[in-house]
Amino acid sequence: MITGGWHFVVAAYAVTLGGLAVLAVTVALRARGWAKRARELDAKRSAEQ
Amino acid sequence: MLSVFANPARFMQLSGWAAPLFAVLALVLFAVGVPWALIYSPADYQQGETVRIMYVHVPAAWWSLAIYGFMGVASFVGVVWRHALADVAARAAAPIGATFAGLCLITGSLWGAPTWGTWWEWDGRLTSMLVLFIIYLGYIALWNAVEDEEKAARLAAILCLVGLINLPIVHFSVVWWSTLHQPASVFRPGGSAIDPAMMGPLFAMAFAYMALFGALLLTNMRAAINRRRVEAARMRGANAA
Repeated sequence: MITGGWHFVVAAYAVTLGGLAVLAVTVALRARGWAKRARELDAKRSAEQ
Repeated sequence: MLSVFANPARFMQLSGWAAPLFAVLALVLFAVGVPWALIYSPADYQQGETVRIMYVHVPAAWWSLAIYGFMGVASFVGVVWRHALADVAARAAAPIGATFAGLCLITGSLWGAPTWGTWWEWDGRLTSMLVLFIIYLGYIALWNAVEDEEKAARLAAILCLVGLINLPIVHFSVVWWSTLHQPASVFRPGGSAIDPAMMGPLFAMAFAYMALFGALLLTNMRAAINRRRVEAARMRGANAA
């Protein structure tokens, strides 16, 4: 049986959870930015009408 | 069913509550799955503690393949029926699938080092998985390289459909060739070869990845629809001026 090996396990979980967290934050920030611009567009349009 | 989502306005309404719901579900499943995998599941009689890498590696592999399949279906629908959201869905899924494929390769390497004695081997499964990752990157690059969105969507859809040939190669690589990678051990004829005590955390993590994919896909699609609206308004403004 392979003994030890915890450092490989910790590295795998750190890379996975870190990678997924970075992906989630990037997607959320990008979506928030475009949602803000779309809201501004709607506000501008309703002000013009 | 698909026609319900064909209207971007209706999609925005539905995804407005579905995306946060998937996000909460993903957080709950990761909060359950990670401690289950790291603390409460048993060590393997041969691999010892390193078997715990399976709970992050295998779902990443499953979902990177499934997401590419989803992109293939969306690309086909986009090319054949010109569904309003099909290209948006395929494009939105690509960075998520690429991340899952990249994580599958890295965690596989971290699992291979202690169990096989090597970080990398050019065997059928590892190489075909690397090809899948490169196809994902190529698909994303193609979308960004072509300025005309209609043309980019058609070209990316064709690339995606051609790349589908790699999915059965990844899946059957361990059957067709003598590989260092083990054959299928969960979904296989004759039932799973994995101890039932390990199936719980494996499926908790698999569903966590699925819920995360749902949340990120819908959020990415919402961003794409908002971007199109803003850019269309900008173009109309520029043309009017």
